[in-house]
Amino acid sequence: MAEDLRTVTADLRARLAAAREGGAGGSDAARAKHTDRGKLLVRDRVDRLLDPGSPFLELSPLAATGMYAGPDASPDDPDVVPSAGIVTGIGRVSGREVMVIANDATVKGGTYYPITVKKHLRAQQIAAENRLPCIALVDSGGAFLPLQDEVFPDREHFGRIFFNQATMSARGIPQVAAVMGSCTAGGAYVPAMSDETVIVRDQGTIFLGGPPLVKAATGEVVTAEDLGGGDVHARRSGVVDHLAEDDAHALAIVRSIVDTFEVGAGFETGTGRRPQPPREIEEPHEDPAGLYDVVPADTRTPYDVREVIRRIVDGSRLQEFKELYGETLVCGFARIHGHPVGIVANNGILFSESALKGAHFIELCNQRGIPLVFLQNITGFMVGREYENRGIARDGAKLVTAVACSVVPKFTVVIGGSFGAGNYGMCGRAYDPRFLWMWPNARISVMGGEQAAAVLATVRRDGIEARGGSWSAEEEEQFRAPIRDTYEAQGSPYYSTARLWDDGVIDPADTRRVLGMGLAAAADAPIPGPSYGIFRM
Amino acid sequence: MDHEIRDHEIRDHRGLGCVLVANRGEIALRIVRGCRALGLRSVAIHSELDAHAPHVIAADDSVPVPSYLDIDAVVAAAVGAGADAIHPGYGFLSERAAFAAAVEAAGLRLVGPSARVMEQMGRKDAAREIAVAAGVPVVPSYSVEDPVSSMSLPVLVKAAAGGGGKGMRIVRTAEEYDAAVTSARREAASSFGDDTLLVEKYVEHGRHIEVQVLADGHGNVRHFFERDCSTQRRHQKVLEEAPAPTIGQEVRDRVTGAAVALAEHVGYVNAGTVEFLLDTDTGEAYFLEMNTRLQVEHPVTELAVRVAGQPLDLVQLQLRVTGGHRLDFAQQDVALHGHAIEARVYAEDSFAGFLPQAGTATLVRWPEHARVDAALETGQVVSTAYDPMLGKVIVHGPDRETARRALVAALDDTAILGLTTNAGFLRTLVASEEFRDATIDTAWLDGATIDPPGADLARLVAAWTDVAVRTLTAGEPHPFVPDGWRLGADPAATIVELDRPVRVDRARGEVDGVPVRELSCADHLVVLEVEGRRHRAVVALGGHAIEVVLEGHRHVFGRPDPFADSSAVAGDGTVLAPMPGTVLDVAVTEGQSVAEGELLGVLEAMKMELSLKAPFAGVVASVGAGTGDQVALGAALFVVDPPEEETS
Repeated sequence: MAEDLRTVTADLRARLAAAREGGAGGSDAARAKHTDRGKLLVRDRVDRLLDPGSPFLELSPLAATGMYAGPDASPDDPDVVPSAGIVTGIGRVSGREVMVIANDATVKGGTYYPITVKKHLRAQQIAAENRLPCIALVDSGGAFLPLQDEVFPDREHFGRIFFNQATMSARGIPQVAAVMGSCTAGGAYVPAMSDETVIVRDQGTIFLGGPPLVKAATGEVVTAEDLGGGDVHARRSGVVDHLAEDDAHALAIVRSIVDTFEVGAGFETGTGRRPQPPREIEEPHEDPAGLYDVVPADTRTPYDVREVIRRIVDGSRLQEFKELYGETLVCGFARIHGHPVGIVANNGILFSESALKGAHFIELCNQRGIPLVFLQNITGFMVGREYENRGIARDGAKLVTAVACSVVPKFTVVIGGSFGAGNYGMCGRAYDPRFLWMWPNARISVMGGEQAAAVLATVRRDGIEARGGSWSAEEEEQFRAPIRDTYEAQGSPYYSTARLWDDGVIDPADTRRVLGMGLAAAADAPIPGPSYGIFRM
Repeated sequence: MDHEIRDHEIRDHRGLGCVLVANRGEIALRIVRGCRALGLRSVAIHSELDAHAPHVIAADDSVPVPSYLDIDAVVAAAVGAGADAIHPGYGFLSERAAFAAAVEAAGLRLVGPSARVMEQMGRKDAAREIAVAAGVPVVPSYSVEDPVSSMSLPVLVKAAAGGGGKGMRIVRTAEEYDAAVTSARREAASSFGDDTLLVEKYVEHGRHIEVQVLADGHGNVRHFFERDCSTQRRHQKVLEEAPAPTIGQEVRDRVTGAAVALAEHVGYVNAGTVEFLLDTDTGEAYFLEMNTRLQVEHPVTELAVRVAGQPLDLVQLQLRVTGGHRLDFAQQDVALHGHAIEARVYAEDSFAGFLPQAGTATLVRWPEHARVDAALETGQVVSTAYDPMLGKVIVHGPDRETARRALVAALDDTAILGLTTNAGFLRTLVASEEFRDATIDTAWLDGATIDPPGADLARLVAAWTDVAVRTLTAGEPHPFVPDGWRLGADPAATIVELDRPVRVDRARGEVDGVPVRELSCADHLVVLEVEGRRHRAVVALGGHAIEVVLEGHRHVFGRPDPFADSSAVAGDGTVLAPMPGTVLDVAVTEGQSVAEGELLGVLEAMKMELSLKAPFAGVVASVGAGTGDQVALGAALFVVDPPEEETS
């Protein structure tokens, strides 16, 4: 890990460019087949749906990388599932932020791999938490049948998509679908469960069972168009509400539909408190691009995290809290894109004092309705007899309790290491941050590979020696190496983002913008009053 | 020699102090300017429609009249307003002898010739006789019975009662003559009920040359050289210039001499124009008619002629001689000075049958580096009630080519938004080789095809400007400002949905891959460098459309409306009974072609008469019911098939 931030960022941008190349994830042949039918490619659909020039905060574009075909598979490998075959993200439509969920039919016919389901559900979760209207651009053959056991039956599987649609709609979060291709079996429920639905003539089809299944079940021979084409559903079945001429027309209709929504609306409007409203935006005095030079190439080299904060927050201003106490955790108030935030940033290993300070600060933010931003770079809590005896676990628990019970929107950016219980105290994925992003230099695992190898080797050596055997240094090294390698591979941000442990790996220079978008997206959802579990005293 | 006149001098000459301007539009403004320069009060008249028109506002006073053509009302307005004289401008009452007589009878003076002269010159046959008497050449004519050998071929055989090309034959060889007379006579008899024929010399390639004259009441007639108005469409002048580009000194002397002789012969007073047809093949110039008024195109003479080294103002001269002033310069003091060209801007769609256009001129930009005689302002409503001319753009240069280039530039800077004008057509015409080489004769435009300017560049400008303005007006900074931001990538291009989607990449400076550099974008004026070439356009961004005026031509790019534009609601062409009821009428038969929305039949149901219409243009493939039939809900009444080429 001696590569500097600039190098790893260039690598990230190259990976992102490759994932997006050509406007869709499929092979050249698949893309050509798609466009020959007069259909737009998935990323073109998203671009044409969004307001002209709208930014798009894409979620986990590198999802599924290396999961089904190995990390070094060529793009033409049939087991490569670029972006998990689905594009999700937040952009503006008719002047308001929406969640876009768009199938990529050039990838396995838009079918749902297990990770596709996870990505769809994650987008829905973000939409539900931030009360963002959902726009589904449907072009999918349904579940990926060879992996049905990982897709269909469990709580967080395919059925949850429709459960979420129903419950979000119940909460007044609009659900809109445009059927721009096939929409088969379970997939048929995406439009059917939507509040308002558009279909593209001669392209979109919706049926619970496609022509082959119908023939098998009843012997009836029917074309896809007669079974569930646009005309059928717009004129006869009433499954859809609008018949569109082509993709562009369907997207225009969706835009018109979104235009009828109340701004930032839902049934929950008017109840509960909201995060403090934003003030005027001030650019940082320190150029965010300077981050590349602030963060050392070697993660073991200490640096002052305030240098990072200054390049993210408005006016480079941080109003620090308890600056002189628990100095390994920097806490303070700042603004990002005008939104007040409480920053919690690691500046070394966590001690009892740092944990207490963090818990106190999180309570303040919850009391005041100020969203929290965690800048995670943590190898863990201090270990050793002195610290254990003084009860560092008790203080760590206070921090974890405060993070877990926090009600204000939380945002986590892993800017370095994310190891062990430090991940918990610093609002890792399990602590439901509204968004979690990683820098390309980040590492994530329960502990470092070297430490894990050492721990496992010690346990093994103890066992061998207890049985009277001996274990040479050479043998031990042979034992340790694969453990280190595994940790090395699994600690990569790309291993993480492929599995949706995060919402994307970001260019460090984009941190401020990405956080600003997240804060803007979170601004309208009401938050309850604070309440906590037992703080172990 | 100073011909500027001072107020007391006018008053000395029988006291001209106040002039009623019996016209509207640019010419009324022109006359008001002339009056003001001479210290005369001006009184406008206006119809109800024109109550707030520019000429009304510009004049010192105004009087409403029922119509600009109402002689009694106009004369009464002048008397009531205390005017000493009436300037009729052109058009309206300007050549009505009855009006001139009424003005004289009311004790007022007309800024123009006497009713007697107007009457004489107004009748074509009488004018021709006077011209012959004055020794002015006229188009040779023959009796239909004359031997063809005595005629100078080609000749035109035409019905005396004729018009519109009916009963007209061109005879180029003697052998054709008898057959042409026979068929023309037959056609004349059937079309007009009168088989009287006339025969006159046919000019294959004619140029329209006209001489500006002006005479005072003391017997002095001066000419101000000639104008060439050969670029015309159906006798409507489009471009005019002075001096005529194709004639030599000998022809010039001939036509100017003839014009002065004619004016002297009839005792002409005030400004007039003697028109000639110049046969470019022979160099002969034939008298056509005399216009007893100020011409639309008088500014080209004003710019191309100097009097004793001073600029010429024909309106001021008109007013002076009306006031009894003597022309105080000699003919040799009148000299040509460079070249002037005028283009007439009309509210018409030159590329779609020259149909008159109406609407609100939402934005009007006239060129700064040209003389513009216009009364069109931003926000003004152009109706079809009056002449469709919106204004005139006139340029001057030391020579014709310099002037022509200046006119191209001036028309490039002419932008009228909100309605279609011929400015782009004019620009194309002025830039053409034919106009450059002065080969356009009077018939050319009637036969020529002028292609409309392509829309690609204008579309590029429209899309670029749309994005530029959206960026400029994005309001307060916000993480979701429309800057095309993408995660870990360069900003995305913005897609502007027009008649087709256009990709605008502002960060890269590209539109659909074509390099674009913005030089300025403010106050509707957009200057872009496209592939290294600079273009200026006037752009208006609207909710439903983007208008771009580029090189004078107005392009309108509609923004798609997903609900209004859609033909997607059209189904498979089967028209079903929307309710159970009785077929009242079947309007079509099988195999009949129908237009979209055409009535197919009428169904009576639930006390309503429902018109069943064709969902799209096509052919009626089947008719499923007859008149009087009771039909069930959903019965297939008609099937319309789309036309063949669309089904393939």
